[in-house]
Amino acid sequence: MTRSRRHGREALLVRKLFRKTRFGFFALFAAVVLSISILSITSVSRELRDEYIINSESIAKNIADSSVDILLNRNLATLQSLIDQFVQIQSIRYIYITSDTGEFLAHTFIPGIPEEILASDHTATEPVDRSLPGLGDFIEVGSPILSGVAGTVHVGMDLELLGLKTQRAVGQQIYLLCIILVTGVLASIWLVNLASRPLAALLEFVVRLARERDEDRVAHDDLLVRDDEIGDMARLMQHVADGRAREGGVRTGKGR
Amino acid sequence: MRSGMASLLALPWAKSLSAAAAPATAPHLNLSRGARGLPQDDEIVLGVSAAFSGPSRGLGTELYRGAMAYFNQVNENGGVNGRRIVMKLLDDGYQPDPCVANTIELIQDESVFLLFNYVGTPTVTRALPVLKKFRDQQVYLFFPFTGAEPQREPPYGEFAFNLRASYRQETAGLVDNFVALGRRRVAVFYQNDAYGRSGWAGVREALARHGETIAGEATYMRGTQFGASMRGQVEILQARAPDAVICIGAYQACAAFARDAEDLGLHIPVANVSFVGSENLLALMREGRADADSHTRFLVNSQVVPSYEDTSLPAVREYHELMERYNPPLPSSEDVDRIAEGEPYEPFAQSFVSLEGFVNAKLITEIIRRMGDDPQRSGIEDAVFAVRNYDLGVGERVRFGPDRRQGLQQVYYTVPEGDRFVPLDDWEARFGLP
Repeated sequence: MTRSRRHGREALLVRKLFRKTRFGFFALFAAVVLSISILSITSVSRELRDEYIINSESIAKNIADSSVDILLNRNLATLQSLIDQFVQIQSIRYIYITSDTGEFLAHTFIPGIPEEILASDHTATEPVDRSLPGLGDFIEVGSPILSGVAGTVHVGMDLELLGLKTQRAVGQQIYLLCIILVTGVLASIWLVNLASRPLAALLEFVVRLARERDEDRVAHDDLLVRDDEIGDMARLMQHVADGRAREGGVRTGKGR
Repeated sequence: MRSGMASLLALPWAKSLSAAAAPATAPHLNLSRGARGLPQDDEIVLGVSAAFSGPSRGLGTELYRGAMAYFNQVNENGGVNGRRIVMKLLDDGYQPDPCVANTIELIQDESVFLLFNYVGTPTVTRALPVLKKFRDQQVYLFFPFTGAEPQREPPYGEFAFNLRASYRQETAGLVDNFVALGRRRVAVFYQNDAYGRSGWAGVREALARHGETIAGEATYMRGTQFGASMRGQVEILQARAPDAVICIGAYQACAAFARDAEDLGLHIPVANVSFVGSENLLALMREGRADADSHTRFLVNSQVVPSYEDTSLPAVREYHELMERYNPPLPSSEDVDRIAEGEPYEPFAQSFVSLEGFVNAKLITEIIRRMGDDPQRSGIEDAVFAVRNYDLGVGERVRFGPDRRQGLQQVYYTVPEGDRFVPLDDWEARFGLP
């Protein structure tokens, strides 16, 4: 076996010691990324949904406050014009206004009011999830007009858009975490290699000490001059080897 | 008359189109040099924001052409008290936001004497608050091509003067006639905006007087073209089994609905109000169809001016004469090349819309004439209120007053006969239940 091949084999033996360490690093980073992603998905989704509801409630209240005089003046064209302006906001998919008796006074549905909406409680103001065939999934909130005696405004916010927003926000976070994960793994490999290199050299040194005869012995100045634990161990090994060599020499002399 | 949109503005709304009533030899005088400011020594500028592009361009175009026919004659004869009447035209494409921007531009930058011949409810409804904002400048909107209530009622009614009957009157007339025939289940197909809602409210109110409610309703989006399918809307209404449908829309969508209703077996009267643009609607429905007459047999349209076939009326005779003499071309602009492609439009020799534009022009000319040699905006209201029993030549006298800001009340009903709409004389014979 050549000298270089022996060196490679010994380095390989040392790196085996760090394989578990590298795997440990990777597993740790992956666990961190996974747990942060799950936390992020749930918290971002919840926060965006809450924000959606708050926004739609404020829009519904805004329309309700603006509608009082218009409704009392029976000016439904102006009322329609009012909700048409609000429905231009990206996340709002529909708005409808019902009278106190449940009659639909203005709405933005095309080609018609969905049956589910027609059948719903027109006085409800609590947020409710709706799935309308052909239209999609929505969160609907309501706001009473003049405490409900003049009617109720209902605003439907697009859940699909909310999902897209959530995906985008979470995706950005996961993207960042993945970059950190890859960087961390690469860094850990580099660090392990950095730490394993002198250990491999030390191992090689020890093996040679054990095998080599005095006349074959080569200098290992690079190890012996180190001021860290590797250097200490090398010097100790050298000392032990030198001691054994001296003992061997005395024993040989006596025998003569 | 064959003419392309080459001469019609269809640029973005902010881009102005300058055209003016002027002698017949130069009917499209660009006003950019002298249209600014209050009445010049030689002209009075009327600001117009209307649909000269898009799916409803036929309405703005025909209204303009009718007005131009009259103004051309006035200007050819020396104008009003020595001043020519010119129109500063801006295109809003029948969209509210551009109309608001145009109105501000007409008031602030162009300082027009008054606003005239606006087209559409969603546009006018949004422009009205602008008039309130500039109320100290006393800018009034005259004779908008809409029968909606916002410009007839507080808080904006005081800033507008209407000549035509309202949608409330039109829909009430249609409902009353249908109910009289025993067709009590009336459904509504409407444009889902302020215009559609205004008509919807009129139908609802009229039905309530008969103890009925709207039997069913279906909507479409403003700007829908004739090529669109209305199957969904027809099926919604079919499920409600109505006896008649009243459409509150523009000609492209209403023609598409009437076509699909006929094709899908909804064989009941389909009524349209005046805004639809009857000739445009009929032309679309008849185009390329061998069975055009049977295909349009269930149509009935309400109108706010008498039939242009009724030449017993002086205004109609005058309209025929001047439309023939001047044959007003489409509005032109310096950017004609940019709009020429893709938007051809062939105007009608006569139409209800251009007749309305004509009588609007006739009355505004009379009001300006009554303001004397030095017309000021502050005198506009008094001049209008002085019109108390004026014979416009349409068979009904015009009357205005502080509590009456709508000059005419009459509603007319018409049905297709060939490629024209003619007066409907006998509802029972045409639409009576079997």
